[in-house]
Amino acid sequence: MRKLWLLLALLAACNGGLEPERICPPSLVGLCGTLRFHGTIPDSTDNVFLAAYVTFPQNCNDLINNRKPPIPGSVTYTDSAAAYSVPLDPGTYHWVLAVWKKVGILTLSPQDTALLRVAGYYRNPADSTQFGIVTIPAGGTVGNIDFRVDFDSLRPATDFVTCTAQ
Amino acid sequence: MHRAIRLLLLLVAPLPAAAQGVLRGTVRDSHGVPIRAAIVGVPNTTLYTQTDPEGRYRLAPLPAEGGDIRVRVAAIGYVPTASTVSLPPGDSAVADFTLESSPLELPPLDVVSTKVARFGDRPATSVVQVPEREIDQRAVNTVDEAVDKAAGIQMLNGQINIRGSTGYVQGLNSRVLLLVDGVPVNQGDRGGINWDLLPVDQIERVDILKGAGSSLYGSAALGGVVNLTTRDVPEGTHVRVRLTGGAYGNPPQAVWRFRDGTGLQSGGDVSGSYGTATFGGRLAAGARHSDGYRQQDEGNHWQLAGRARWLASPRTRVDVSGAWAVDHYDVPLAWCRQGECDDRGQAFQPFKVATASLGSWTDSRKAYVAAQARTVVSQGFAWQARASWFRTNFFDQRPPNGSEFGIADRFGAELRAEAHPDSTRTVLVGSEVTFSDVTSDIFGNHSQSEFAAYGESDQAVGVIRLNAGARIDFLATDGGSLSAVVSPRLGGTVPTDHSGGMLRASIGRGFRAPTVAERFVHTFAEGLEVIPSPNLRPETAWSLEVGHTTAPLWHVLRLDAALFWTEARELIEPRLISGGKIQLQNVTRARIAGLDVAILSAPIPDRLTATLSYTYLSTRRQVAGDPSASGPLAFRPRHLVTLSGDYSLGASAVGADFRYASRVERIELEGFVDARRVPVKVLDLRAGWKQGPVELRLLAANVLNYIYNLVPQTLAPVRTVTVTAVWSH
Repeated sequence: MRKLWLLLALLAACNGGLEPERICPPSLVGLCGTLRFHGTIPDSTDNVFLAAYVTFPQNCNDLINNRKPPIPGSVTYTDSAAAYSVPLDPGTYHWVLAVWKKVGILTLSPQDTALLRVAGYYRNPADSTQFGIVTIPAGGTVGNIDFRVDFDSLRPATDFVTCTAQ
Repeated sequence: MHRAIRLLLLLVAPLPAAAQGVLRGTVRDSHGVPIRAAIVGVPNTTLYTQTDPEGRYRLAPLPAEGGDIRVRVAAIGYVPTASTVSLPPGDSAVADFTLESSPLELPPLDVVSTKVARFGDRPATSVVQVPEREIDQRAVNTVDEAVDKAAGIQMLNGQINIRGSTGYVQGLNSRVLLLVDGVPVNQGDRGGINWDLLPVDQIERVDILKGAGSSLYGSAALGGVVNLTTRDVPEGTHVRVRLTGGAYGNPPQAVWRFRDGTGLQSGGDVSGSYGTATFGGRLAAGARHSDGYRQQDEGNHWQLAGRARWLASPRTRVDVSGAWAVDHYDVPLAWCRQGECDDRGQAFQPFKVATASLGSWTDSRKAYVAAQARTVVSQGFAWQARASWFRTNFFDQRPPNGSEFGIADRFGAELRAEAHPDSTRTVLVGSEVTFSDVTSDIFGNHSQSEFAAYGESDQAVGVIRLNAGARIDFLATDGGSLSAVVSPRLGGTVPTDHSGGMLRASIGRGFRAPTVAERFVHTFAEGLEVIPSPNLRPETAWSLEVGHTTAPLWHVLRLDAALFWTEARELIEPRLISGGKIQLQNVTRARIAGLDVAILSAPIPDRLTATLSYTYLSTRRQVAGDPSASGPLAFRPRHLVTLSGDYSLGASAVGADFRYASRVERIELEGFVDARRVPVKVLDLRAGWKQGPVELRLLAANVLNYIYNLVPQTLAPVRTVTVTAVWSH
């Protein structure tokens, strides 16, 4: 019986199961921060998600095909602010933005832009008229990537890139 | 040619009807306790039967001319015995047998599927058996829980993996065939398995055949076969009542709490049977309720099951069985990731679901009815026929996307003959027809037909037994052109000593026809459109196995080891194609190789037994047109360890099961789903007490409340404590 208890103790000691994980854990490779929400949430809202681009997209195809991650996670948007994190490969990202999504099915094609709007993006802390650039080091996390999401100012992709089909 | 005709006439010449011999008696252990389900038969003939709960048997029809008959008796966990019985001409005789307990004894395998009649011999491929005693000891509530404890087997959210055969594709296929008393019951539309079709209380034994079995069983037996043997109907009146109640553990972390109270579960089954020597029938009914161990996990289950037997003549037995089950359950589709629910600042909430998917539920109804008749024409020849109908009907409510439904009818018929031309040879030939008809809003309205013929011969050459066989299957969809698949198999066994040691080797080809669901599914998954793939071809695989079972070592342990190697082609897997759509394609070529080792130990016979099993899996895949996609197969752990121990003293017994599976190296759709996963380390503790007709069982499953998942974003069961009481009369 003593051996059984020893076995139990051993098993308990090397637990290793799933553990609670804060939104911006040290183990994350990617970026995290806080979104602050303003404006009235549209009735047709499906969700809000984060996206990042290594280079600024030149057209609608870039907008869809170069998005990281390809299938993004959601962000809680019903409170005035929400912490978020996005797992991303190490590298430099020239555009980090919050995307508002209308109810509908995404097809990973330029037609998706009909369902998506730019709700806000990270700005250069030294010059808020410029896009903010974020560099994720190998194996590291970049925190404090905070920016504002404005539901009253949802902007179509064509404000930023050239789209031939929507 | 003339010799062959004479031999055939000799085989099928019926035993004279007027004066046939009958052998009756009992089989008991050394303490006089009746042994249930012991096999009593005349080796290398069509004559065999099994004992009822009182250990009684009736073996007929024996030769009318009487004489000395060699009878062999075997049961799981006992030393087999053989005896010569003198039978007076045209008369009956009584022979009682006593079997010595021997936990190290390998079980008889003549009825793995009722298709392979090799009385008292071990087959050339690996087989795991879960006998009634183990099912009872483990106090499990569902059939898949019983199967999950078997060595080398892993259940992934309801999908069975035998040596890493299936992996995990949610609800769309199974590379393992499920039989109920030899009748195939994989779904007609999705090809998957409804483990809740039968109440566990009606299961007498589970046999699991590892490796390709398509040479006898056809499609879906690519990775193995699971046969559920239901309880026979004994003579006399019998009643059995089983009640169970339990509670789920709460999340170990306060930040994961999702309800104020404790989740409970309860259930009850009652069955009654009445039988005479000629007729017998049983009806069973039951219901279960579970609050579930996570948010939106409540479920209800109702079932009816029945079985009848009729000895139409001394040589012909007819069995009719059926079951009907209804499940209505909430569906926790995927755990909540940050932002999808009230995440409390957590990256994920494994006990909660996304707010958008609240209200998802499924109503699943299934029923089957099967009739089988077996006629023993002579000692050397028997034929068997069966017909079956299996229906599944599901309705999925999936907010916010709407609903889906599917109705599938699978009709089957089979005719086979078993011949023993002489004492060294067994021949089995048969043909099988399956027709599936599907009506669904996501699979469309389609039908699928399979026509097959098969044959196998088993031959003793000195001490060596060789067997060879093949099956040809013709497949057609929607009445279109036929495509053929040939599945040959070759195997052999060689005894290595006089105490049961044996070397075995086999090679065989398996296949799995694409299901209607795989060909025609049109739905949305992970926000992407899944489009049909009507031109899918069957998956095929060659499986090779070499194994050795030792004789008992130092009288306390026995070792079994097997090396296996599978080369699979044209495996069907989901692929992301242009336009952001998902399509199932025949793109993957895979290799699954590994080692199965099992050690059975009985340091104190009748008191203490322990088993340790280990499976090592090495998998590799190549994807056509995508060299970058090579790597290990998804959802296959490299290491799988099962450790079990049981100690019994008088009417009481305690036991433990520990299961370890290493973290899977790859999952499907990585990057699209939450990739969090950990190794499996689950410990179950159990205790039991039996006195007369009453039996009590306590099970603490996952007693350490280890929090883990087997497939993405799906929490595996947490600590669950159940108490089961059984009364049998």
